[in-house]
Amino acid sequence: MKTLLDALRSRATWRWLGTGALLLMLSPCADAAMLQEAVDLPNRWGPNPSASDYGWRYDELFTLITILISVSFAIMLILLVLPMIRDRARAGHKASFDHGSSLFDKRFTATVSVIVFIVLDAWVLVIAVRDLREGYWNIPTELEGAYRVEVLAQQWSWNFRATGLDGEFGTADDVITINDLTVPQDRPVVFNLTSKDVIHSLYVPDMRMKRDANPGAVNQAWFQPITAGDFAILCAELCGFAHYQMGAQLHVLSPEDFGAWEQDASMIAVAGFDPEDTEAQWAWDWKE
Amino acid sequence: MLRHRRPRGRLLPLAVAVILAAPLATAGSLSAFVDDEDGGELDPAKRHLRAPHDVSFEITDDDRLLAAGEDWAEVLFPRLDAEFPGRFSFDDDAEVWSDNRGEYVWDDDEEVYWQNVSAETLTRGRQDYVQFCASCHGLDGDGYGRSAQALRPPPRDFSQGLFKFTKVSPDYLPSDDALVHLIQEGLDGTPMFPWDVAEPRLRDVVQYIKSMSPEDEGWRDSTNDFGDPIDVGEDPWVGDIPAAVAEGERLYHANGCYNCHPGYLGAVAINAIQDKPADTAFRENITIPKRVEDSSYEVLGESVDIMVPDFTWHTMRRGRTPQDVARTIKAGIQGAGMPTWETFPDKTIWAIAHYVRHLTDEYHGQPAKRAAFMADVRAGH
Repeated sequence: MKTLLDALRSRATWRWLGTGALLLMLSPCADAAMLQEAVDLPNRWGPNPSASDYGWRYDELFTLITILISVSFAIMLILLVLPMIRDRARAGHKASFDHGSSLFDKRFTATVSVIVFIVLDAWVLVIAVRDLREGYWNIPTELEGAYRVEVLAQQWSWNFRATGLDGEFGTADDVITINDLTVPQDRPVVFNLTSKDVIHSLYVPDMRMKRDANPGAVNQAWFQPITAGDFAILCAELCGFAHYQMGAQLHVLSPEDFGAWEQDASMIAVAGFDPEDTEAQWAWDWKE
Repeated sequence: MLRHRRPRGRLLPLAVAVILAAPLATAGSLSAFVDDEDGGELDPAKRHLRAPHDVSFEITDDDRLLAAGEDWAEVLFPRLDAEFPGRFSFDDDAEVWSDNRGEYVWDDDEEVYWQNVSAETLTRGRQDYVQFCASCHGLDGDGYGRSAQALRPPPRDFSQGLFKFTKVSPDYLPSDDALVHLIQEGLDGTPMFPWDVAEPRLRDVVQYIKSMSPEDEGWRDSTNDFGDPIDVGEDPWVGDIPAAVAEGERLYHANGCYNCHPGYLGAVAINAIQDKPADTAFRENITIPKRVEDSSYEVLGESVDIMVPDFTWHTMRRGRTPQDVARTIKAGIQGAGMPTWETFPDKTIWAIAHYVRHLTDEYHGQPAKRAAFMADVRAGH
């Protein structure tokens, strides 16, 4: 026990441990292929570029918060480390101890807190609420050319229902898909979400959109894709064993492609519609 | 200096009362949720809404399931013994094979092997079943899980002992291996995932699924036999896929696949392939797949219809490679409209498989290209 304590007090021990930790941290650099892979990633410092027209709001807010927090963290570190070095015990100088409980200290702390709150939190809050009002909560209506999708989540899949060509839910040409959603580019896509069993969350990271699907309630969300391509849809609410496998494909098609797709999808939907199978007709009245 | 004590205790009794009352109030509201007023009898129209309060994990009785027929017994156990050394042990006196999932006992009267599945195995299987499978297939295995509502095609009802994609010869029971492979590979385009569960656990789940067969059916019917895995051999078209696709196109239309699946050629071309007069008529909407009855499967008393896949549009459930497609063609899809094409030579089946896979690779997920292609076909009718 005593030897161990002595070893812990010895500088040599810590020097060796520190060197080991440093080598361990640098060891990935030895794997040149792995390093190259990381360097080759198209966007290795952040999320995929936003593919929706309100995505910039979230990206800007994210950047702003990152900068604010980094700056205040740096200031905090300086305030913490500087006195530790300046006032440490050394030859000719005795370390002092202060509770920080004088009236001046209390007032100083309160003032700094209020300033930090107003500058950082309120700033972020104002921008966030503005973004929510102008973007995420600003759900387009049908009149604005919205493409509407009803989402029925379940353990562990997404059921999507689009209106088909007739623009009405609950008709023979409703396009019903599982884990596969096709939407048009440059048109708002509006969702009505609910769930059969537990809470799920429709998460489209490339569109900067995430919304819970709760059983017994209909939630709304929307985005407007500005890039055609295939994107991932995930579940962002722990919903059971296979939560990690609960995903879907989002296909954003150019207007011409989408026209062809909607035509064919409606035609096949009509051919596959079974009027006697009432249980499969789960559309609900659209919630604006 | 006098110190004033804060009257800390004033709110304490109230807080204690609230903390104590909360669970009682919750229990009260929960009991309203568990609906037992009708004595446990459920309105058939509300079967999905069955509150999951009847979950029981413990299975107390051993079960007896069909293991292998006479012809298999000579082959199966020696083969498994070679494949998994040490898994099986053979008791010379009792003539009993056994492994950790039970004993395999020869029945002289019925001339079959029975597997005595231990209650522990079934309990392990039941536990994983409730965690992974019950949300769709139901706590009783009847396909009426809470999340199965409105799913089309509906989840299997295990009491039917009928499986569509196990890829064994039709009219035979699938082996454990076939079921495990099905669970591991999943069915594309449905919530049936490739399940990421360790194989020993899957084998227990499979024992439990087998034990859901009703009396004198499925794995309790000694007259049933197990199907061999469908074998389509090596691909005879290696190195000449375009020829396979061309030949497949001819065979697909010569054998009337378009009677349910869509036709992908104009009327003139199909009639030329079939040596019929050029004006012979086809089914209505030949470019659109047909809606057929999905086995004897019923949802709330009504039989369910499903779409036959259009290979340029739908995903194939178990058809990722030409080999998968070839095996499905040869095995057929039990209970659905797809018959077995076992009588075809393997080379024919492979050609059609290549053609079908080619259609998927070429047009699936490319709506504009697909629409142009199908418009061409439609113009020819």
